[in-house]
Formats: sequence, C-alpha cells, structure tokens
Amino acid sequence: MTDTAVHQTEDPPAPEPPGWKRPEVRSIALIWLVLTIVGECLVWIPSWLMGPSASTQMDDIKQTMTLFTAMSAPVAAVIWAIMIYSVARWRYTGDEPPEDDAPDFRTNSPVVLLWSILSGVLTLVVFIWGMLKIAAIPAAGGLAALPAGAMPPMVVEVTGNQWVWNFTYPELGNIQSDVLYLPLDRTTLFDVTSADVIHSFWIVEMGVKVDATPGQLTKTDVVPHSIGSFDVRCAELCGLLHAAMETQAKVVTQEEFDAWAQDKGAEVPIEPAAQEEGGA
Amino acid sequence: MRRLNIITAIVFGLIGTIAAHYLATIIFVMPVLEGDAEAPSGLVWLLENRIAFTTMFGWVVGFMIGIGAFSGPVRWVLGKDLTDEEALFLAGKDQGIGRYFRFTTDHKVVGIQYLVITMVLLGVGGTLAMLIRTNLMTPDSAFLGPTTYNTLVGMHGIIMIVATIIMITGPFGNFILPIMIGARDMAFPRLNALSFWLIASVVPVLLSVPFIGGMPTGWTAYNPLADQAPIGMDGFAFTIIVFAISSAVAGANITTTAVKMRTRGMTWTRTPIFVFGVVASVGLAIPAFPTFMAAQVLSGLDRGVGTTFYDASGGGSGWLYANLFWLMGHPEVYVILIPALAALLELTPVFTRRPLFSFKAAVVAISGIVGLSILVWAHHMYISGWAPKLGGPFMLTTEIISIPTGLLFLVFIGTMWRGRIWTRLPMMAVYAMLWNFVIGGITGVYLSDIPADEAMHGSMFVTAHFHYTLMGAALTGTMGALVYWFPKMTGRMFDERLGKWGFWIAQVGFNVTFLGMFMVGFAGQPRRVFNYSEVFATGNFISTMGAYTIGIGMLIFMYVVISSWSRGAIASSNPWKAKTLEWQVPTPVPLENFDVLPIITSDPYGYGRPSPDLAATDQAPKEGASL
Amino acid sequence: MRRFMIRAFFLVVTIAIGVGFVVGAGVLLAQPAPAVQVAEVRGTVQTPQGELPHAFLKLESYPDSMQGFHGPDGGAHPDWVTFGPQTALQVPAHSLVTITVLQHDGGEVITNDYFAKVHGTVDGVAQLNGEPFTQIPPDTVGHTWTLHGIPSPDQDQVFVSVPLQAANEEVVGENGYPVPNEVTFSFYTGDPGLYYWNCEFPCGDGTYANFGGAMSAEGYMAGTFTVL
Repeated sequence: MTDTAVHQTEDPPAPEPPGWKRPEVRSIALIWLVLTIVGECLVWIPSWLMGPSASTQMDDIKQTMTLFTAMSAPVAAVIWAIMIYSVARWRYTGDEPPEDDAPDFRTNSPVVLLWSILSGVLTLVVFIWGMLKIAAIPAAGGLAALPAGAMPPMVVEVTGNQWVWNFTYPELGNIQSDVLYLPLDRTTLFDVTSADVIHSFWIVEMGVKVDATPGQLTKTDVVPHSIGSFDVRCAELCGLLHAAMETQAKVVTQEEFDAWAQDKGAEVPIEPAAQEEGGA
Repeated sequence: MRRLNIITAIVFGLIGTIAAHYLATIIFVMPVLEGDAEAPSGLVWLLENRIAFTTMFGWVVGFMIGIGAFSGPVRWVLGKDLTDEEALFLAGKDQGIGRYFRFTTDHKVVGIQYLVITMVLLGVGGTLAMLIRTNLMTPDSAFLGPTTYNTLVGMHGIIMIVATIIMITGPFGNFILPIMIGARDMAFPRLNALSFWLIASVVPVLLSVPFIGGMPTGWTAYNPLADQAPIGMDGFAFTIIVFAISSAVAGANITTTAVKMRTRGMTWTRTPIFVFGVVASVGLAIPAFPTFMAAQVLSGLDRGVGTTFYDASGGGSGWLYANLFWLMGHPEVYVILIPALAALLELTPVFTRRPLFSFKAAVVAISGIVGLSILVWAHHMYISGWAPKLGGPFMLTTEIISIPTGLLFLVFIGTMWRGRIWTRLPMMAVYAMLWNFVIGGITGVYLSDIPADEAMHGSMFVTAHFHYTLMGAALTGTMGALVYWFPKMTGRMFDERLGKWGFWIAQVGFNVTFLGMFMVGFAGQPRRVFNYSEVFATGNFISTMGAYTIGIGMLIFMYVVISSWSRGAIASSNPWKAKTLEWQVPTPVPLENFDVLPIITSDPYGYGRPSPDLAATDQAPKEGASL
Repeated sequence: MRRFMIRAFFLVVTIAIGVGFVVGAGVLLAQPAPAVQVAEVRGTVQTPQGELPHAFLKLESYPDSMQGFHGPDGGAHPDWVTFGPQTALQVPAHSLVTITVLQHDGGEVITNDYFAKVHGTVDGVAQLNGEPFTQIPPDTVGHTWTLHGIPSPDQDQVFVSVPLQAANEEVVGENGYPVPNEVTFSFYTGDPGLYYWNCEFPCGDGTYANFGGAMSAEGYMAGTFTVL
C-alpha cells in the first residue's frame, strides 16, 4: 500500500510535464518523504494504546488499525507536504492584495485523473481488507465458521439491564453471574438482549461489540486466547448510570471454569418463609 | 403590522404559552377527573407529555403571530394584500437597527439575524462543552452529577448541530448568496424571514430543556431510552419538528433562488462554487430532515398518546428509530460540512490570486458527496445487529465517499500550487482546515471499515473523529468565511492582528483536546460517560486542558468580532480585490443590491490574466437592467 | 500605546465575562454536594478475612417522597418513590458492611428475575424479617438494592444485589405507609473507591420499561457508594 502512495507523490499536481523533474516537485517529494517516515515511525501507537489483545478478532482489529495508520501516513503527507511547501515558497505578506496575479492555469486533467484513480485504488484496498476481515467480526458479518472437529460453542446469554450486565449459562443449568467467566480457547456464542433500553455489549480487549436491543436477540462470538481479567463496558448511552455499567470478563482454564460452574450450580436457592406478605 | 416586533412576539408567545397550558389541562385532564377512579400512573405520564407539547405549541404559535409571520397570508386571504409601500416596509426600508428585531424580508437583514443567533448558539454550546470537560477533568468528579451531565451532553450536541447546520447557509447563504448570483433578494423573501423566526421562536424552547427535567439521552435521543426521559424530551422533539419545518422552508427558498434567479449570463459553469456548496447543503437537508421530524413525531406519539412505534413489547422497534435518525444523521454531517468547505473554496482563489483549480472537479466532488451521503446511514449501525448482511454494501458506499472528498483536497492544494498566497486570516483557515480535515477524514476511513469500527464504535474515538470534521473543518471554515465576508456584511474590517491570536490559540487547543480524546478512545473509553476508569485519567486531563485553551481562543476571537463590528476600520467595497459579484456592489449594500443587474460573461475566477471582459461588475451594460 | 491599553482592557473584560458566563452556568447546573450518610462502625467482627471493622447502614424505601430528605412537602417530585434517609452512602474500606433496608413500598413482577436473587453478599444470603433467603418470587419484588462500579486496576469489581420483598400495602403502619419488610445483608469492602447503587425494579416514569423519573434521577432510586 505504501508503494501506491509513493506513486502519488511522484506525480503531484504539477502543471506542466515533465512534472517530476521540476525543483519544487523534488522539494515536495523530500518533505513528503520526511513526513511519511515520521508518520510510519508512529504507526505502532494506536495498537499500543489499544492495550493487550485477548482474542484472535482483537488481533485482527489491531492489525487493521496498524495497517490503516501505515497507509494513512503517506496520504496525509502528500497533502501536508504540498501545503507546507506552497505556503513557504509562494507566500506573500502585505496589507494590500498582491499586484501581480499567479499563473492562470485552471486544471490539469492528468493530475485530476491520476488523483481520482489512486484514491479509488486506496478505497478499494481498504474495502477489500474490510471484506476479508469481516468474517472474523461476528457482530457485523455473521458468525465465524467453526473449525472442523472443534468443540461445539458454549452459549452465554447476555442481558443488558439499566445499568448492570448479567450473564446466564443455559447449558450449565442456567447458572447466572455478574462477572463473565469464559474458558480459554473455547468458542463462546453470545445471545445478547436487553431488558429495557438499547445497550451495547463490549468486551474491550476481545474486540467484541454488539448492541443489546429490547425484543431482539443479537448474536456474536469469540474465542478468548489469553488468561486474565478484561473489561466489559456498555458502548451505548443507556441513561443515568451508563458510565457505571461495567464489569469484568475473566478468562480461565477449562478446569478452573468447570470448578467455578460447579460451585455456582451448587448454590441451593432458599426462599423466604413469609411469602404471604408479598404482592400488591 | 408596523407595530409588531420581537417584544410583541414575546408577549404574544407568553400569552400563547399560558393559554395553551390551561386549554390542554382542561381538555386532557378534566375528562380524567370526571371519572371516579384515580388516574393510573401511566396515564398521568401521557398527560404530562401532552400538556408539555401543547404548551410549547402555544408558545411558538403565539410568538409567530406576535412577530407578524401570519400578517401577510391573513391579509391576502381577506383580499387586502400588502401594498408596495408595506412590502418595502417589510423589507426594512429606512428603519435603522429596528429592522433586525422584526419580521424583515430583506435577505441581508435575515443574514445578520442568522449570524447573531448562530454565534449565540455556538456560545451556549461552547459553554456546555467547557462544563462537560470540567466534569471529565479527573475521574470520580462530582461536579455535575450523572443526571445533569447526561442532559448537558445531549444539549451540547443538539445546540451545536443546530448552530453548525445554519452557520454557513444562514448568515452567508442569505446575505451573500443572492448578491453573488446577481439577484435583488431571495425568491421568497417572506419565507426567508419565516425560516429565521421559526428558529428564533424555538431556541427558547430548546434552551429551556435542562430546566424542565432535561433529556438524559444524548442528542441522538435513541428510543426506547427517550421514552423514559422527562418532559425535557418533549422540548427536544418539538424543537426538531419546528427546526425541520424551518430548514425545509429555507431549503426550498435558497434552492429556488440559486436555480431561478441567477443574473443573465450566469450559466452553471460561471456560478461561484460557494453557490453549489450552499445549494448542496440545503438541497440535502430537504430529504434528510423530514425523517428526523418523523422520528420525533412518532416519539411524541409514543410519549403523549401511548402508541408503541418504538416499544418492543407493543410490536415496535428501537431499530426503527435508529434508521429514521441516521437517515437524517449521515446526510446531516455533509449539510454542515459542504457549505463550509465551499466557502473556503470560494475564498482560496482570492488569496492565492489564481483561478480555482479544476472547478468542474469541485462540482463533481460536491455532487458525488451529496449523492453518496444518502446511501451510507447504516454505517452508524454496523454493530447494532440490525442487518449484518448489509455491512459490506454500506462499507462500500461509505468508503467511496473518500474519492470525492479526496478530490476536494486536490482542488484546495491545486489552487494553492504556484499561487501568490496572500497570508490573511481567511487563508489561514484553509491551512488549519487542511490539517484538521485530513485527520478527520482518515479517522473516518477507520470507522467506515467494519473491523476497526468493531473496536471503535461508541468510544471516544468517534467523538474525536467527528469533532475533527465538524469543528476542525466546518467551524474553522466558518471562521474563515466570517473574516472574509466581514467587511461586506458589517462595513468594517476584521482586526486580524488580534484575531489571528484567537484563531490559532483555538486551533492549538483544538488539536490538544481531540488528540487526547483519540488516546482514550483507542484505549477503550466509551462515549458520553460522566465518569471513567482511572486508566483514562491522563488523556482526559490533556483533553480538558486543551478545551480550556479553545475556550480562551474563542473568547479572543469573539472579542475581535464584537470590537471590529462596532469600531473596526471602515472597509472599502472590495478590500480583497475579489471578483465575485458581492464585492462589486457598494458597502453597505443598498436595499435590493443592484441598481442595474449585471450581465455575466465568465466565471469569477479570472485571476492571472488581463480581464476587462471577464469579471462582471456593476458597470455592466445597461441592457441587463431589467428583471 | 493608549489605544493598545484600551483594547487590552476590553479584551480582558470580554474574556472575564466569557469565563464568568461559563462559571455561572456551572454554578447554575452543578449538582450540589448531597448530604452523605456515613456508616456507623460498631466494633470489629471476626471474619474469614481476619478481624475487620463492622459498619452498619440503615436505609428505607418509601412509596413517595414525603419522607426522607426531600423535605416536608416532598420536594420537586412528591409522588416519586425514593430511598432514604440519604442516597449518598459512605462506608470504611476493608470492613464488613451490614445494610438494613426497611421496604415500605409494594411491588409487582420484576423484568429480569436475576434481580429477584441475592448476589454478592456474605454466603450469598440475606435476611428477610430475620429469615435467611437467597431469592424471592419474581412477582413479589418491591425494589432492589444493587451495587456496582467501574472496575479498574485501582478499583475492585464489586457487585451486590439484594431483592427487597414488597410490603403488603393493605397493612398500614404508624407513618401512613405499609408496615415494612426488613431486609438485612452484609458484604465486605476492599480498597477505597467510588461505586454506584441503584434499584433494578422498574418503578419510575415512562410508558416503556418504567425506568424514567425517580429511577433516572440521583437522590431517589440511585446514589453513590463511597468506600473510604
């Protein structure tokens, strides 16, 4: 992708051929190169800011961010280089308008054409990349295909309530939890819904996000690949305590998970004796 | 009619408010009281909303009667249409400052009225931004509390959206555009005044929202969350409905003016690019805002009548609201952005003393953006689960927009290329816009791509992105446009020496604020939160410091606007030696603009060549004098 | 020079007015600091985590706002349900907190029966009028007291949720409200932090989900919980 952008600067909107031999074009190419190198030196920042990754789809997302940043640097550099050079070279200061006007060329069809084609190519690259990666992004593109021979996915029912998440494990005797426990390296299928308004279920480090909509069941899935505690947040303003609608996702080994599930399942419900006081 | 002005409007408005309130109470509550049983609480809720809506309706109708919006139509129905003398009075002839406080039809008066109301709204919206940032300066702040914070986030949003939608097409589209195309006024001068006074009437309703319970939903007012909101939500819905009417009226008016009233010889290829930008903006608003209005009408019905358009338990869906909202929401950002960029496109040739580079590419780009922008709304709903199969198509339409947008960048830098770049403040706005909008545009490409959006949707990253476009590009462009047209609109020069300080301080503060916001966005801070995890403390603190810097810069800029307007150096009629028509008429611009309508023989970008026959002036041949 | 001074003066005045406007709006809109109800520490208690201070809080939930701290006339919304006596609560860090809630309000079916169960208390139980329980029938929930926060490296994940059995509205007590059910539960606090609690029973305004009004306003059915 960087290669495409290189072509872009070699033909900036120069009015007359042979454009690339003119001194201003060379100066701009130099400024562009410096800006691009500076930009490319910073491409690790988004991925670094996004923190650790806990799933393959988050790996994909971070890779996408890095790639887009790497592609963006030369594109931004073209515009900024031409702007910086133009302003530095052709600046005029004075209280009155300059007496002499600039040359009157009105367009440069090859440049316009080349610019359009290049931006078209870049767009296409971005789009194709997105379509390739969309399969890994279950919320938006349908669920990821399971590899042959894999364990069937574990289902977790996620309910957004104003302002608390709760999780039900229907295959484990409907045990319920406020913290999302997930076994390592096992596909987990989320059935997401809401008890009241629209929320958005977001496991930050796993790149999982799908809206929780009342009356609808939205689905997404993930394969956690790292042990640890991760953040579950709400990504859609849902009223008073939206900011505090957060909990944790704990990824543990299958054995630890089984122990936890057994522990949870062992809790025997006790109902209070004084039933008749209830009801209104 | 001659006695009506803003004072009578407020008096009539208050009378209307009180009358409607009592009438609504009698009509809606009395039947309930006559029944024996105590009203169920659900019904009380519906009644409160009904009364609130009716009361607001009473205010606007009373206000519009009081300002004289209905005088003309009523006189016409009664068969006593306005005399010429009365029509001239209505146009503000010989009235001095008073004409700015009346239902005045002169497009220049309407332009100034829009300018003032835009600045007031930006001031209020900016104040709220300062409060929001103050609350977010440190984690666990108890400054505003969640109830107020959530309301202020929504208020900041909608006030800024309204202000930025009108900030170019209102002041400059009304004041400058008719002169620029060689017209004596707008096509429908009374509709013009109507569009302004509708907004003026509804601004008090909007500003009252925090005091009648608030709207803790953000400006998106998503249902079913909006269904829980206090009656402040009714104020929001009502404001949107009136605003949509106003923008439809203004859109029809400006479009008709630009299409039908260009002076003789002004073919489309000789029409200034700014006209294209404004027409694109208001033309786009015509299909966009009715869906927003419909969304709010349905919301009002759910709240006031108990229908279930958005209530899943009654067969409705929140996705219906989200679709209606974003059908407006995405065109709307281009309604804001395009005219601001077009204003900068208009002034760039003046300050580079060069023809606009590839005028036709600019027109194609604007048309392309307009066409595509109505096909991209669902990229706001990638992760809603509403239509996963449409992710690909919407990703494609969204990303294709980067092609016409890229063309606009080419037009800007192409116009600067080998120009004689006169570094005045309007030109500096172009530099700042090119910096900001590159960042805003590129981060938009991230968000358009589903893999990246999966992580960034609903985070502070989105907030930073759209501030880079709407504030970094559109508001910056508007500041440039204001300085550029200031001499023509106020008759005085803008004090650039101090203005530059204000402008650049605001720009630096802006970049600090939103780079800090990108940081916390990448790290996963959700949008619209009153409190956040301590891991986001640094980025938020940076953001708040940047926001205060913006505030200082904007206050300096505002001071320069006020002081230059009142005591600035008197401007000549064409201080920039520009070639568009508005600079060829005297300053201050006379009523009806032209003694003799000009005839156009070329486009207004004929810099760099000997030009006796190119630029049209008011010394144009007499045979063009009739219209 | 003099002209410059005058301009500088007016510039400073403009900025001062602008800042004043922002400050004024802030003062107008800022939430006044609510009165804080501090838990009463009565001695220490032996727990599996060692000897900890034992803190007690007593809350009541009322069917309207005529009681509690909203004033004798019920404040801005006399008909809203409310917790009391305060909603801003403060407890000591690293302690055992025992909360007693007197539930004066009636109730109906809760939307999500997850909240008809007890979560996060010591041993997962709470006491209803002295009887231990871990859940109540979802159609007899009056309110819930549900505590949560924003977990971060500096702040623990905390979740406590206890259903409050609806009072029988036909048995009216001395203060004109139904005779309350008394619900008591205990949980441990960790490091200092700021948490939030709210009610999960939809008892507010709105035609849908009934989470408006009192449910969406601090100082009624939601509040802060400071561990200090």
